[in-house]
Amino acid sequence: MSIAMTGRISLEQAKSLVEFLESGQQDAADAIIAEIQNPINSELFAEIGKLTRQLHDSLTNFQLDSRLNDLATADIPDAKERLNYVITRTEEAANKTMDAVEAIFPVVETISEQVEAVNPSWSKLMNNDLDLKEFKSLCLDIDTLLKNTGKETQHIHRLMTDVLMAQDFQDLTGQVIRKVIELVREVEDSLINMLTAFGISAEAGQSKSKPKVGDNLVEGPIVNRKSRDDVVEDQDDVDDLLSSLGF
Amino acid sequence: MKVLVVDDFSTMRRIVKNLLRDLGFTNIQEADDGSTALPMLQGGDFDFVVTDWNMPGMQGIDLLKAIRADASLSHIPVLLITAEAKKEQIVMAAQAGVNGYIVKPFTAATLKTKLDKIFERLA
Repeated sequence: MSIAMTGRISLEQAKSLVEFLESGQQDAADAIIAEIQNPINSELFAEIGKLTRQLHDSLTNFQLDSRLNDLATADIPDAKERLNYVITRTEEAANKTMDAVEAIFPVVETISEQVEAVNPSWSKLMNNDLDLKEFKSLCLDIDTLLKNTGKETQHIHRLMTDVLMAQDFQDLTGQVIRKVIELVREVEDSLINMLTAFGISAEAGQSKSKPKVGDNLVEGPIVNRKSRDDVVEDQDDVDDLLSSLGF
Repeated sequence: MKVLVVDDFSTMRRIVKNLLRDLGFTNIQEADDGSTALPMLQGGDFDFVVTDWNMPGMQGIDLLKAIRADASLSHIPVLLITAEAKKEQIVMAAQAGVNGYIVKPFTAATLKTKLDKIFERLA
């Protein structure tokens, strides 16, 4: 009815269509249908063409193709390399520090033992309770202790300097991480631009997504403790939770 | 006492080993995830396990469950030292039969307190 009113099919066309169908001329009937539909099809194609152009223009305007391409093929692999560098440097620093600390432990242990060994005789001496033979032996022990302590404090000093120098990773990894943060920010901007280009509001999707039970259970260190209520604050929280469970 | 320290980061294993040695544990072995740890436990007479949660391969929570499910290992106390801090995870570990739960970053004093508590209970 509406088609007839907008004039897309004439009374003659309709009559001939019925005639052709009644007389079994299927091809002729199909031809009339095609004739009727054609104008609609061309409007549809025009509309699709317009949308395609708009889409193309949007993409070009936002220069998504070139920048996103760079991000994906160059910057992100580069960022992975940078982050691996951070892992390597921090691991090296941790090991260097522990090398030094592990070397210091036995040195301190030795000094402590020598002091312990001297202590009883020394107390006796302070109480005027030491005979000459013991005094001579004490003198030798103290001599060893002094020489050893002098030598070992230098050794400890050297190792402490190693610990100090091992902390130089902080500056280097800090710079690298800052670059990666900058990259993440740029990717974020590009993605928001893309959403905008496709008419999707970036705000709308910003529901605070929290990992659910089972799915994404293992999360690693929690960096946003303050804004979360599903994580513990510290060891005391853990202990409280466990004791509430009867631990 | 024979102890197995399980963590995928060698630096963390080294820290835990040093702290344990300081507390008098000298017989310490290492594994880098649950699937390496489990056969070691089955093959050796370990008395205590300290494990991380998040590891590639078999995770700490699954190692704990496997230990509890194995009649020859189920008596071994297990201490989790992990960055995992979700309440549901702590509850899950408790239900799986963990003997202690320490969140990273942790201190030497925390480790000592937890160990004392674990062995006091077992005594």
